[in-house]
Amino acid sequence: MIEIVLTLKAAPKLRVDMRDVTPAALAALNRDALAQQTVWHGNQRVTLADLFSIALRERKDDLPALRLIGDLARFDRIGWAMESGRIEIDGSAGDYLGALMVAGVIHCGGNAGMFAGCEMAGGALHIDGNTGDFAAATQPGSMDGMRGGELIVRGNAGDRLGDRMRRGLLVVHGNAGDFTASRLVAGTIAIGGSLGTHPAFGMRRGTLVLAQTRVELAPTFVATAHDFAVIWRLLAKQIAALGGPFESLVTKMPRRLTGDLAVDGKGEVLQVG
Amino acid sequence: MLVNGVAIDDTFAEAFPMKATRLIITAHDLTWARHAAVSMTGFATSVIACGCEAGIEAELGPDATPDGRPGLAVLMFAVSGKELAKQVERRVGQCVLTCPTTAIFAGLDEGEPIALGKNLRFFGDGWQISKQIGNVRYWRVPVMDGEFVCQETTPVVKAVGGGNLLLLAHDVEAALGAAAAAVAAMQHVPNVIMPFPGGVVRSGSKVGSKYPALPASTNDAYCPSLSSVVAASALTPDVRAVLEIVIDGLTEADVAAAMWAGISAVTLRGVEAGVARISAGNYGGKLGPYHFHLRELAGSEQ
Repeated sequence: MIEIVLTLKAAPKLRVDMRDVTPAALAALNRDALAQQTVWHGNQRVTLADLFSIALRERKDDLPALRLIGDLARFDRIGWAMESGRIEIDGSAGDYLGALMVAGVIHCGGNAGMFAGCEMAGGALHIDGNTGDFAAATQPGSMDGMRGGELIVRGNAGDRLGDRMRRGLLVVHGNAGDFTASRLVAGTIAIGGSLGTHPAFGMRRGTLVLAQTRVELAPTFVATAHDFAVIWRLLAKQIAALGGPFESLVTKMPRRLTGDLAVDGKGEVLQVG
Repeated sequence: MLVNGVAIDDTFAEAFPMKATRLIITAHDLTWARHAAVSMTGFATSVIACGCEAGIEAELGPDATPDGRPGLAVLMFAVSGKELAKQVERRVGQCVLTCPTTAIFAGLDEGEPIALGKNLRFFGDGWQISKQIGNVRYWRVPVMDGEFVCQETTPVVKAVGGGNLLLLAHDVEAALGAAAAAVAAMQHVPNVIMPFPGGVVRSGSKVGSKYPALPASTNDAYCPSLSSVVAASALTPDVRAVLEIVIDGLTEADVAAAMWAGISAVTLRGVEAGVARISAGNYGGKLGPYHFHLRELAGSEQ
């Protein structure tokens, strides 16, 4: 299979909407059509050739692949609703990275903007740097956030991380901002560093794992004293495989608090640190 | 054909397609896992009246179980996926959910899924919690010693049931010794169970009965008390006790491997140990698609 390599010529003046630039969509195009593929730049359409120098590389696997090189902080919706293939970003990405994706793999070597992985339903989104607010959350106005797949952030995350998340695995190796896991419907969120204010606010179900920090939770969270070692071993094994601050999770037993009793109250915060 | 003086009959065991699943029961220690497994596989000797055939397949160390605790692998067989689903739910609900500290997991990777904890979760009366880890969904049901963790579904695969060996001995003691040795050897074979008490059945059956209501009745051809009065008796005067070992396995090859292990264990003891012949039960080859020819097995290297 061919890997399409797009190297940024210069930072665009306005934001670029990359929603149509998925590996599967580009794989169907020949080199000329690829160069003439248009994207929105502000309120005008420009071609990929205007923005990128284009190269094609042979790959051994059968998956459509796209490599983006450069600082793409102004490029939004990379991997939007992606259904297959792989996107490698050698640099940073803009907002909505991997939003609505259902399958495939996206790896971002730098930072991502806001709404990374929002409403993603499957696949894997790995961000080596930091990500902005509302990662794995909802699009404005939607009821459900991330609903499947895995989002791994090696750096820090902004506010409202996993807001209304419903399913899947969300791991942040660094710190997370205010209202982490707010209104969490279900799924698993693990944080390696510290948290901002109001963690797990309005959490209904799901699990928030704090690997190395203890936070002050609202009075609507209560400690439970029962033996939950079985499910912890299963969960810890999965998260510990990601290394870093989670590496030794399997050997520890966290303190468990359940809440938010102001709502459904079947969520849990597992404080290992 | 004689092996160490033990005659191998020129016949075959006839086996049938079944549906099977493997369950892994873990607990705080092996004792409690065994309590649950023994209870769950109790009254599961024959599909004729038990609904399923089940047995403990193997002990598992902490490194071989999903939750890192000691456990046991259990195999369950039934004539249909629907019946198996019914038996799994009843038996897990009454024997594993109830047993202190246990958890239960699917032991097969692929197959048609049936409910494991999917319906048992309602015991939680609304307090049950779902947890998806990777592609596997678990249910956590609050119970009085903490929480009962069970996988949502377990895969069902096509399997083979009814492989068998008949050990024809000079007396009961010799028959028991041979059967115990054979079962001990077969228990080392993976993917099989011997569902009868101690792995051995003394009431071998034939299809049908003079009483219309009964689907099966005593295998009179192998009853020593009838050897002089039944025209079709398969016994010679020197045979005064017969025991049968029934084998269910996940594949035809697994059943064959277990039968080979059993035959080898008996013949290794020699004719001096009291077993005169090894035979097998069949229905003329017309009912079951799997035929295990004893002489082929006895002559093979495994």
